[in-house]
Amino acid sequence: MSEAEKLGPDYELDLGWMDQTGPWDTRAEEGRNGLTLADIQVGEYGRVPDESDNQTGRPRGSAPRSGSYRIGNYAVRTKSEIWLDNASFLYEEALQRQWSSATDVPWHTIEPLPDDIEQAQCQMATFLTEVEFVAGDVPARWVSQTTPDFFEARQLLTAQVMDESRHMDVFRKRAMANGGGLMAATGATSGFVGSIDLSRDFTEMSARLHISGEGAVLTIFRMGELMAYNDAEKAMYRLCAQDEARHVAYGVMHMRYMAETAPERHEEINCYFDEAEAGILSGSANPAGQAPILSEPLAILLGGGIAKFDEGFKKLVALRRRQIQEYKKRVVSAGFGARFENGRSRINEILEQAAAA
Amino acid sequence: MKAVKAAAKAVKSPHAETVRKAVAAPMLEIPEPKLTWMNKSRQWGVRVKPGKKGLTLGSLNVGIYGEIPMDWPDQTRNPRGAIGRKGMPPVGYMLRSKSQVWADCAADLYEEAIQRRWAPATDVPWDTVKPLPDDLERAVCQVNTELSQYANVEIEVISAWQHQMVYGYHEVKQYLATAGFDAARHYEVFRKRALMNGGGLGLEGPGQVNRMILESRGGWTEAVVYLVLVRGLFAQTILRYLEHYASNEAESFIYRNVLQDKARLLTYGLDHLKFAIAHNEDQKQIIATLLAIGDGLFIRDFNDPVLREALAIVFGGSIEGARGAGMDVYHDMMRAYISTHLEYCQWLDVPRRIPEQLEQYAPQD
Ligand SMILES: [Fe+2]
Ligand SMILES: [Fe+2]
Repeated sequence: MSEAEKLGPDYELDLGWMDQTGPWDTRAEEGRNGLTLADIQVGEYGRVPDESDNQTGRPRGSAPRSGSYRIGNYAVRTKSEIWLDNASFLYEEALQRQWSSATDVPWHTIEPLPDDIEQAQCQMATFLTEVEFVAGDVPARWVSQTTPDFFEARQLLTAQVMDESRHMDVFRKRAMANGGGLMAATGATSGFVGSIDLSRDFTEMSARLHISGEGAVLTIFRMGELMAYNDAEKAMYRLCAQDEARHVAYGVMHMRYMAETAPERHEEINCYFDEAEAGILSGSANPAGQAPILSEPLAILLGGGIAKFDEGFKKLVALRRRQIQEYKKRVVSAGFGARFENGRSRINEILEQAAAA
Repeated sequence: MKAVKAAAKAVKSPHAETVRKAVAAPMLEIPEPKLTWMNKSRQWGVRVKPGKKGLTLGSLNVGIYGEIPMDWPDQTRNPRGAIGRKGMPPVGYMLRSKSQVWADCAADLYEEAIQRRWAPATDVPWDTVKPLPDDLERAVCQVNTELSQYANVEIEVISAWQHQMVYGYHEVKQYLATAGFDAARHYEVFRKRALMNGGGLGLEGPGQVNRMILESRGGWTEAVVYLVLVRGLFAQTILRYLEHYASNEAESFIYRNVLQDKARLLTYGLDHLKFAIAHNEDQKQIIATLLAIGDGLFIRDFNDPVLREALAIVFGGSIEGARGAGMDVYHDMMRAYISTHLEYCQWLDVPRRIPEQLEQYAPQD
């Protein structure tokens, strides 16, 4: 007979659990932006351990049960590996700024375009729908491997997966909205050594994904006005840029946390930046990179047709310069600016020389 | 060009040389366009128009773009309908058959999730939460602690499987992105409720069912059985009752909205199980076996008095109330859970026997 069956109409209660709680008398208060994640980081509940020993998936600050099964086996349980200081803020922003590719993009403003422009747009959209979800797949994998003790960072990664899903979707929609269709995939994010997918360390992944990969894409989305031919395309780039800025901010803020708390990893992180700098234009995951399948449609879009290819290409070069400048700014902001002063990185001087030429 | 030559001279380390090649050269030369990518499309001339609900994901499935094969061996991110590139090393996706992931409703659920988004920080009327008697606050906090932990398992399971699905079934990946995001929001909103009214988090839940869901590693379909048909439905039943017995507008808003989100996951789950059963001879029996094994663990979780008593206090309004009417409501809730669970199993045509320990909750006929 189960315990439940033994209970009669006047039920016996155990109630022993009522005194087994986390810190009591907690009163998180709503602030100007509602009751945010930052607002509930009160007292013990706001204390994030440097090393997490949580193996049962219990909510941080709750009372542990001695008999609970160990189910976690979390790969990420060292705070510095994944942490960033403003995760709560960025997460709440992500919630407030969700948008719908079905209804927030004014699709009706799309009018038929000259064939070369439509083809360039569809090729670019095919590429973007192909690569956008690498930034969904990979963070998802890390979400499932991170201890819930670092849930603020994990929430933000979950929001990123959502954002990328919408990006994958909005570019597929664009490719099919105006008499075109999908074109050729590039294979840019396949299973190569050194790819975002195969990173075996979160920080390395974040350097490849957030700072290098998404940083490059962010510059392009921000300059979306230059390659948009209607309000729908403008909205598409603007809304994606807003999301992308958060993803890049994750990487920058995480690196900053590493810079401050993990000096033993500085050299290693500089190696990741070395790799990023070597691949920033030659790698095929940058839509403004050197691969003709990407640079040609982009130049056509920027110039206004095949006939103005050279003009478009000059704009593309300007865009590349801006990508590199913004990359540099982010690395400085992350606390690794010394590489631009001590001769390790040549990006500075090469930018100047290229500009002079 | 002079400047670049000068730069080349100044460059010393091999790394700097690589960067010079990668950065300086593309700044200077305008190439002759090859345009080899042009006129390459498997289907051109597509013009999908926005409908009543805007330009939706499902509406894109026209012509070859709507052809969704039963197997998708391509392990790159080649979008369905695009021309793939040969010779690309696989990303390594474990789920490559439609029967392992598919549900026809996924595309619609994806759009619906986006339309019905809400933010715990600003949409919950937190100011309607007023101080509660100590026993009731403790019960509410305990229930919210366990619900937050339920959401944690959902986050971990969904995110662990979603990235293992091939690109050919992108609708499912996209829907699951919304489901993971929903679960994150649930994790957050229950925690917020526990920490804002003079209480705190309670005791962590017993781990048996959590472990069972996380250990369903064999396949996503198997994870769905536990995540949706057992735990998901149980959580939904709890939420339905909690909404009815909520002490204030904020709590009823929370339970109602979480319930609405979870209803999507249930819809996806049932639809997927039906699809998997229809396309895999052995699937029905696998589900029946999983459910039978799961019963043992579910009963152990369920025998733990903590959640039961906390819910009875919420339903009865106090410890006193829990000893009478509150526990009656709890048993009523269990009957509702079991009978819905049986209904769903019947709809799936999965053979199901309710174990002796739960028989008191089985429908009489
Ligand atoms: Fe993106
Ligand atoms: Fe992104």
